[in-house]
Amino acid sequence: MMNRFVIAEPDKCIGCRTCEIACALAHPVGAIAAPLTPATFAPRLTVVKGMKISTPVLCRHCEDAPCVNVCPNGAIVYRQNSVQVLQDRCVGCKTCMVACPYGAMNVVARPAAQPAAGYATTHAIKAEVQKCDLCVDHAGGPACIPSCPTKALHLVDRNTMDAARKSRQERAALDMTNGRLF
Amino acid sequence: MEKVISVCPYCGSGCKLNLLVENGTVVGAEPANGVTNEGELCLKGYFGWDFINDTKLLTPRLKQPMIRRQRGGEFEAVSWDEAISYASSRLQEIKAKHGSDAIMCTGSSRGPGNESNYVMQKFARAVIGTNNIDCCARVCHGPSVAGLQVTLGNGAMSNSICEIEDSKCILVFGYNPADSHPIVARRILKAKEKGAKVIVCDPRFIETARLADMWLPLHNGSNMALVNAFANVLIEENLYKQDYVARYTEGFEDYRALVSKYTPEYVETITGLPAQQIREAMRVYAAAPSATILWGMGVTQWGQAVDVVKGLSGLALLTGNLGRPNVGVGPVRGQNNVQGACDVGMLPNQFPGYQHVSDEAASAKFAKAWGVPELSKRVGFSLTDVPHVVQEGKLKAYYIFGEDPAQTEPDLETMRQAFEKLEFIIVQDIFMTKTAMFADVILPATSWGEHDGVYSSADRGFQRFYKAAEPKGNVKPDWEIFSLMATAMGYPMKYRDTREIWDEMIALCPLYTGATYDKLAGLGYVQWPCPTEDHPGTPWLYKDNKFDTASGKGLLFAAEWRAPLEQVDAEYPLGLCTVREVGHYSCRSMTGNCSALQTLADEPGYVQIHPDNAAKLGLQDQQLAWIASRRGKVIARVAVNERVNAGTVYMTYQWWIGACNELTIEHLDPISKTPEYKHCAVRVEAIDDQLWAENYVQQEYSQLKARLRHAATV
Repeated sequence: MMNRFVIAEPDKCIGCRTCEIACALAHPVGAIAAPLTPATFAPRLTVVKGMKISTPVLCRHCEDAPCVNVCPNGAIVYRQNSVQVLQDRCVGCKTCMVACPYGAMNVVARPAAQPAAGYATTHAIKAEVQKCDLCVDHAGGPACIPSCPTKALHLVDRNTMDAARKSRQERAALDMTNGRLF
Repeated sequence: MEKVISVCPYCGSGCKLNLLVENGTVVGAEPANGVTNEGELCLKGYFGWDFINDTKLLTPRLKQPMIRRQRGGEFEAVSWDEAISYASSRLQEIKAKHGSDAIMCTGSSRGPGNESNYVMQKFARAVIGTNNIDCCARVCHGPSVAGLQVTLGNGAMSNSICEIEDSKCILVFGYNPADSHPIVARRILKAKEKGAKVIVCDPRFIETARLADMWLPLHNGSNMALVNAFANVLIEENLYKQDYVARYTEGFEDYRALVSKYTPEYVETITGLPAQQIREAMRVYAAAPSATILWGMGVTQWGQAVDVVKGLSGLALLTGNLGRPNVGVGPVRGQNNVQGACDVGMLPNQFPGYQHVSDEAASAKFAKAWGVPELSKRVGFSLTDVPHVVQEGKLKAYYIFGEDPAQTEPDLETMRQAFEKLEFIIVQDIFMTKTAMFADVILPATSWGEHDGVYSSADRGFQRFYKAAEPKGNVKPDWEIFSLMATAMGYPMKYRDTREIWDEMIALCPLYTGATYDKLAGLGYVQWPCPTEDHPGTPWLYKDNKFDTASGKGLLFAAEWRAPLEQVDAEYPLGLCTVREVGHYSCRSMTGNCSALQTLADEPGYVQIHPDNAAKLGLQDQQLAWIASRRGKVIARVAVNERVNAGTVYMTYQWWIGACNELTIEHLDPISKTPEYKHCAVRVEAIDDQLWAENYVQQEYSQLKARLRHAATV
């Protein structure tokens, strides 16, 4: 089975960033349902605007994922046909950020209470790597997809890829002008 | 959880949504299957509701009537009785001393809805006795209304938002749909998918330019020259429909004579466009079986705006792209109810339903219905007249209803001087705004979500929105406040609900008579004209190519190109053009109080600049910089952006610290009196001490917020 991933059609993106907010709200930092603030705004996809392109960029959930391969602590794993992070194992070494060719990993450090010698210390730091988790814990699936007003975002799985491959093969077969070479 | 049908309170796309209500509080929004939005929303629709709950992120909700008995003093909280009695007696005094025309009122194109606007203009006309009433259409699509009323007879979009996707050619002129109306941008995408040709005329490489077949990056301020050249090509290359022009239009010979000079070669230096590209664009436009022109503030916010609107309608007339589906002219109205404010008479020259104040029959009809012997036939002041007529001593009192001119007018220093000179200012709003800080009396109103009503979307569509939650605080619906004011001024006025107001209004307006509340129930959508109850409404205007002009023909009109007023020079070497931010709306009193939208973009805002200009000035991306014009100086964050043209910088107008209207010039179109927000001369200066600059922004912003918060919490 192939890993699933969310990808955008850049031709349809109007750069409005609705998906960023939908993603940030689906992945609350701190208290669930607290209003967003700049400190808690941590979307796992980023709308990139260049001269000729506007498109959200996010994790491709690679089959042979550099982030999984390089993580020294086994914090990144393949689960549910996707690449997921086990946050309690993340030490914040940033190796995955260095390795990821899509810029999809973001390591953050947040204040956290941690038990030490039987007491909860409030000044501890917890590292976390934030990346697209395909909203696997959400009943409705990836929150970004329905929020997009131009429907530029799509969830791609093995079936979608097979269908696309098949139609491209068919188009190529009908368009075989190279036969005239011989 | 309860779901209450509403209409998005931001842009004019008319998106239906459900407000999600839990224990009497609005807790979310989800798209509804409205005619224009088809179950989609943009970020403002999804995340633009929490201001209702008084988040105080930017500025607090107004929760009690307040009076400031002395300028410079503190506000004091008072009862409604006292506020109304004080406000009405002060207005009476001014009316007795200086006459009715010394008082000016505004409409509100946002949350209040058509009913409250109708009652406000009735209050101005029947109770105060003046046509001094205007709304923000003046600073927005006023030129579209003025221009199209002359050439085609109707100032609104000729066709519907949903028809855009079936048009075979879309000419986008001075309009950035992705930032202004994402839900309209969606229709353009769909049109493209269905094979339409898209032509974009804009100095910036806007999102729509990415998908366009042709992008014409004309020089800022060359609109009229380009439109005339378009007409020149259509005529001289014989691309126009001679039969259509002969049968349905007038003025062709004069028009042809004027545009004959504007060959594509002649305008090359004015527009900066190769003649071939101009020709090619018109060949594509003329060849399409159906073509739509969409425009926005890039056409209207210039000293020469009405002429350009008339010119654009000429292109549609020349090619027969009117009077049928999927064609036409589309001034896509900005705010959610700016079309509505105009529809119900928030104009100094027209009663509700676009009936002229100088028309004897119309005047007599309204006078009779409103129970007054006669109504003023003198055309009132426009919004942009205010600073001048105040200085001339003609205007003494200003009743500002749901507008924030201290943020949105050009050259804010001039506006502030006018406020200081006015004898009496009433501000009726839902938020403590920069304008409310000038008020002598503050009347707090219910917000969108807290009252019922009807909005008009950009394409003339009436839609009902419903009350979702009880207001918190001692506030009243706008129409009720006007009724109390009218009664206190000796004109007994009382309405049961918005339906009663609506019924009174549609009975007086033949264009709307058939658009009853029952017909608009739920997701109902009725586009005017709708003269009778069995009439389905009118998605596209000018059936049988019969125009709403006196002669029934469309008028071809051209004018000589005029350059923008303030030329760049050595001291102020860059042009400044004011533009839109997708996640904020207008003065931002609403979106600035929405947690998600405020998180996405906050003070001091950006000045977008081309990399070449930035490099020359030593400006780094994301650094703070000063932007100065002859009228003021503000600080903003630099966004180095390849999509903007060199020579012009771009700022969005909702920021308090990076307030670009401190810089803009008060140069008005002579007909519509719309300011030239799209061009003035500025210089951008790098700041060496960035740490100081960051602190300065934070400090100024906190102080301003604290000042408004303090004023509102007496």
